[in-house]
Amino acid sequence: MFNRRAAALALPFLLAAALPTQAAVKASDVVGRAIDGFVRPAYASLDDHAGTLTQAMRQLCNAPSQQNLDAARTEFSATVEAWSVAEIIGFGPVKENDRLERMLYWPDRKSIGLRQVQSTLAAKDPSAADPAQLAGKSVAMQGLGALEYVLFGDGAETLANKDDPYRCAYGAAVASNIQAIAGEVREAWSKPDGFVSLWANPGPKNPLYRDGTEAVTELVGVFINELEMIREVRLKGFLGAKPGADKPKQAIYWRSQNTLNSLAGNLSGIDKLFQVSKLGDALPADARWMAESIHIQLTNGVATAKSVTGPIDKALADPAPRDKLEHLALITSSLSTLFGTRMTAEFGLTAGFSSLDGD
Amino acid sequence: MLVRTPLIDRRDFLRAAGAGFAAAMAPRAWAETLATDAVFATAFVRRDGSFGAAVLSEAGKILHTLDLPDRGHDVTFDPVAKRSVVFARQPGTFAVVFDHTGREKPLTIASVAGRHFFGHGVFSSDGALLYATENDFDNAVGVVGVYDARTKFSRIGEFPTYGMGPHELLLLGDGRTLAIANGGIETHPDFGRAELNLATMKPSYTLVDRITGDLIEKHELPPALHQLSIRHMDRDQAGTVWFGCQYRGSATDRPALVGRAARGKELELLEMPQDVLSGFRNYIGSVAANPGTGTVAVTSPEGNSLAVIDAASGRVIATKSLVDVCGLAPDGAGFMATTGAGEIVGGAGSTRAEPDYVWDNHVLRIAAAG
Repeated sequence: MFNRRAAALALPFLLAAALPTQAAVKASDVVGRAIDGFVRPAYASLDDHAGTLTQAMRQLCNAPSQQNLDAARTEFSATVEAWSVAEIIGFGPVKENDRLERMLYWPDRKSIGLRQVQSTLAAKDPSAADPAQLAGKSVAMQGLGALEYVLFGDGAETLANKDDPYRCAYGAAVASNIQAIAGEVREAWSKPDGFVSLWANPGPKNPLYRDGTEAVTELVGVFINELEMIREVRLKGFLGAKPGADKPKQAIYWRSQNTLNSLAGNLSGIDKLFQVSKLGDALPADARWMAESIHIQLTNGVATAKSVTGPIDKALADPAPRDKLEHLALITSSLSTLFGTRMTAEFGLTAGFSSLDGD
Repeated sequence: MLVRTPLIDRRDFLRAAGAGFAAAMAPRAWAETLATDAVFATAFVRRDGSFGAAVLSEAGKILHTLDLPDRGHDVTFDPVAKRSVVFARQPGTFAVVFDHTGREKPLTIASVAGRHFFGHGVFSSDGALLYATENDFDNAVGVVGVYDARTKFSRIGEFPTYGMGPHELLLLGDGRTLAIANGGIETHPDFGRAELNLATMKPSYTLVDRITGDLIEKHELPPALHQLSIRHMDRDQAGTVWFGCQYRGSATDRPALVGRAARGKELELLEMPQDVLSGFRNYIGSVAANPGTGTVAVTSPEGNSLAVIDAASGRVIATKSLVDVCGLAPDGAGFMATTGAGEIVGGAGSTRAEPDYVWDNHVLRIAAAG
């Protein structure tokens, strides 16, 4: 009983009601570490990778060859991984000007993007090969999904020779557009004013975060929402309740075989964000095991995801890798409970979380 | 007029009755007590993670609970046969009809292939037909499913909502027109609750003839507000429909979130004081009117706030800060509000705490005010 009380008093967020000023300071430390240690480097890395990808596309267009096609494909996969780490921060600058949807229009359930890209390639529309004009077209034509089709979809092998310069030019424009979006988000997060100052400085006059608890809730929400997204949307979107119900073509990035690479990126991003923010330090001593368990399970999840390689339809057809995918779903469920139920209860944040998934 | 009957402790009763309606019928005496005292119904999540619906007394005391297989959302009520229906939260596939007195066994309605519920429904005035908002998810269009209460709620047809992602629907005072909030958001059960069309979403408010299924009126918001999802509604004393929205654009935008719709007129968005609007965090979770007092209340669980509006003038006349508040129902001269923290705040301000319960987004009055 005594221990329980002492532990509770050590919780900065639980103190929010009693000592708002002090709690706000501590919350802003956590948020500050999340921004400096994760958000900024993650979006900077994405911008850097997108830049390299754009160069690789231009190189391919200037000198079509299998080697340059392979190089562009490799850079595409690296950019997907960088985006998968960064995209867990799906609020703030990336939510403005439809950047999120322009970067990744997925799932494309009705094949809207696919049809638009295919008809663009067929019509050889010059405006779609101009990055400035492309940015104003359908969101489904200007991001990672569109470029994946260019590089890995039907007819992509023509990029290795001089037969289809338009396909390459459109692909280079998409890469350039991805770089532009990544650059805008990177710049917005690097400014000391703007969104950073809102998130890191909660207070009564702040229009988004009235106190430290609300600022930390945004961070905790990343873990809770992204784990649910990974499991319910990305993984269960193609992994059926039983083998016969699998839908491999509903897997994200199936064409480029980056499905698991992306899930691993999401999970490693969550791990990094949790570590650098030191949110676990705010747990009372008798609940510190949660932080360790979270780290161990995230590491395990990343390793499990990375152990499934090759085409996703083949992985689903083979019991051993398919079991790993089911295991991955279990890991994310366990993590969801740790973050969403146990940790939020320790922080006294429980109440706020039924609203996150509200209607 | 409400006849007060002494209540036995609910925990004793639940222990005696087993798990609830599904396990045992209420004893006759208790059924009579419930018949007189049941005033509100709401879905909930228990702290242990299980789901159900509860019947509450005027004072907010839990009289009875019903287990549900998954999370519920709204409850609708047929005052003729005195039956309630709790709908699964989207993308759920069940609705459960229950008698709040526990005399009748609950009846589960399953959604048909290719459809799921959105969490809201409404009875025709005579209680014969039940209308539910549903998702025709492969075609990404909203439909109203029609169920015949006289034949164990068999599904006898459907008609379009003339929009995507319908949410709450109301029956207007003429007994024939349905008002439907088409949230505009595409979802598909293969991808859980992921919102698939935020860049192109186009919410609308439609009036549909429930007999013919014909569209009577359709209203959209200005293009700049295409990410303002119209979700919840209620009707004030003058018959004007009030609606609450959720904004899917940037969190730093501050669009109006509450509006009203009078027949034959364009939608009108309500200007509110900046501090009140800011407190909603771009998310209205519930809307309820109190015709007796000429007021409308809206809640924001995201912003932990509740505001009461004078329906005639459109002015905000009261605000209240309440953690994770969402459920709203008229109660005396005010509103009953329920929260995700298990609180039940009565219209006169009394508060009951039920820490084992996370009250879901909506609470419904199933009896006239006493």
